[in-house]
Amino acid sequence: MSFLKLDKVVKRYGSIPVIHGVSLEAKKGEFVVFVGPSGCGKSTLLRMIAGLEEISAGDVSIDGRVVTSVAPADREVSMVFQSYALYPHMSVFDNIAFGLKMAKMPADQIIGRVDEAASILQIGPLLSRKPRQLSGGQRQRVAIGRAIVRHPKLFLFDEPLSNLDAELRAQMRVEIARLHRNLGVTMVYVTHDQVEAMTLADRIVVLRAGQIEQVGSPSTLYDEPANRFVAGFIGSPKMNFIEARIGAVADNAITLSHPAFVGGTLTVERAPLRPVSPGAPVTVGLRPDNLTIGSPNPILNLTADFSENLGGHTQIYATATDAPQIAILANGRRAIVRGATLPVGLASGRVYLFDADGIAM
Amino acid sequence: MAATRIGSLLHALGLLIVLAFALFPFYWMVTSSLKDQTELLASPPVWFFHPTLSNYMDIFADTKVTTAVLNSLIVAVSTTLLSVILGTPAAYALARFEFRGKADLWFWFISNRMISPIVLALPVYLLSRQVGLLNTRLVLVLIYLTFNLPIVVWICTDQFRSIPPDLEQSARLEGASQFDIFWRIYLPLGLPGVAVSAIFAFIFSWNELLYALVLITSQGLKTAPVVATNFMSGYELPWGKIMATGTVIVLPVTVFAMLVSRHMIRGLTMGATK
Repeated sequence: MSFLKLDKVVKRYGSIPVIHGVSLEAKKGEFVVFVGPSGCGKSTLLRMIAGLEEISAGDVSIDGRVVTSVAPADREVSMVFQSYALYPHMSVFDNIAFGLKMAKMPADQIIGRVDEAASILQIGPLLSRKPRQLSGGQRQRVAIGRAIVRHPKLFLFDEPLSNLDAELRAQMRVEIARLHRNLGVTMVYVTHDQVEAMTLADRIVVLRAGQIEQVGSPSTLYDEPANRFVAGFIGSPKMNFIEARIGAVADNAITLSHPAFVGGTLTVERAPLRPVSPGAPVTVGLRPDNLTIGSPNPILNLTADFSENLGGHTQIYATATDAPQIAILANGRRAIVRGATLPVGLASGRVYLFDADGIAM
Repeated sequence: MAATRIGSLLHALGLLIVLAFALFPFYWMVTSSLKDQTELLASPPVWFFHPTLSNYMDIFADTKVTTAVLNSLIVAVSTTLLSVILGTPAAYALARFEFRGKADLWFWFISNRMISPIVLALPVYLLSRQVGLLNTRLVLVLIYLTFNLPIVVWICTDQFRSIPPDLEQSARLEGASQFDIFWRIYLPLGLPGVAVSAIFAFIFSWNELLYALVLITSQGLKTAPVVATNFMSGYELPWGKIMATGTVIVLPVTVFAMLVSRHMIRGLTMGATK
């Protein structure tokens, strides 16, 4: 039984549609992440669930109740804003208690609830401070405290970590994951950072231009991207793409041709998902972390360009005839001589193929 | 090093000149109110004199002045309160809601202040006579309100616009009503703007002379500026009394401005977001 359900949800600004009939279901306790490039409509979709944006067509239901025309406060959802949206003139206690006061909860119960939230987030000593006296990470905790104190049915996060520095972001990411585990509440989380999406999500929803590109678990999206967009968006460093042509098709193998391949061809030993004809254009996708240098069975002949030392890994950029720059993530430290020939093999994973429309094949 | 010292000296000198220019009339008014008539009219002016409070004794002995100060206080305080009570919700609406005719309404507020007050003096006089408001404090409150409301609305609209919209949306999600949002978020955060516009409204209502002169004829209802000019009649010009009245008139405004100015601190919204 689905807990959160979006049914052909549409958002138009005037006559311009920005969300094109999105349908989605989430189970109770699930952590769903909306991810996509800026302007893809992920925040708009989240705000439609919250009730902060009107829904032009379609329905939203939470816990079996259609809330499309229910006021935001009555949807039993809490939201953490990208800007935190703390009330600057109120103390941390009053910030957290605001929603409970609005709900006319008795004062002693409010104190109990705030203390509970403060101990979960370890912000007890900060309760009498004003938001301007807090660091970014502390403000973030207060914003989360304000959300959990109301015991909502659904948590919404709108890029909550994007104002924090890298170290704090990683730390808060773990805390949000822990919070989800401890509270067991359904969460919808918006981010443009695919690392956050991969690490936090039970299921990722990849959005582009107001439409869902693919929904699935992080490993499904990584291993079996439905199209070229998802393949390029999920995974860091980004997947390499080579525009090749189909040479020959057998029952259980496809031969691809491109000058970058060793001998001009590459044979992928699997049947295509759909019938293909020789000569058709095909995009070959190779993940940088699947590639290896100095392989006994190289598939690519590349020319080294430059390298970045990442400590435990080295990211190597190389070029080939008629191909864009190709990235390789190698283990350990590698000294690369610019202009040297690099025989590159496929150590693990697979060769991804996409047709002219970008659909996986 | 030397250049920066000379620079800051010149800076201080410039400030002193501006300060002297602004404060000298005030200084002259206060000192004149403490001189007797012969010292006042002495030429060249007397800089050192024996201060006397006789002018103040004279004006306070005259109930006209005390009544007038009380009248001014009643009119200015009610006008200021009404301007803020009516103007801030209007400003909130203009700052945060989209509605038909918003731009026209905005322009109408501005155009209210484009007309020179004297142009309206006669029609307002005739109108108030017709509705029987002539010679009441109420008519002054109403007229001053039409001049003050635009100022309050402009300043507060601008102030409210600077408040991050996320705060309002967050409050809405937490169950705050529209009034709660205005009362608990916009008003406290917009306090600097509200304070500034209240000072403007108070000063305008307190100092206004033209309408007070035209619409009020009965002695007991006259406001302070009118009474101050009343001394300039007949064959005598009692400068000392005029200056003493002037000083008494300026005092409440100064006190009010000082009281309110501590709310005019910038950066009150700091820490709301990011």
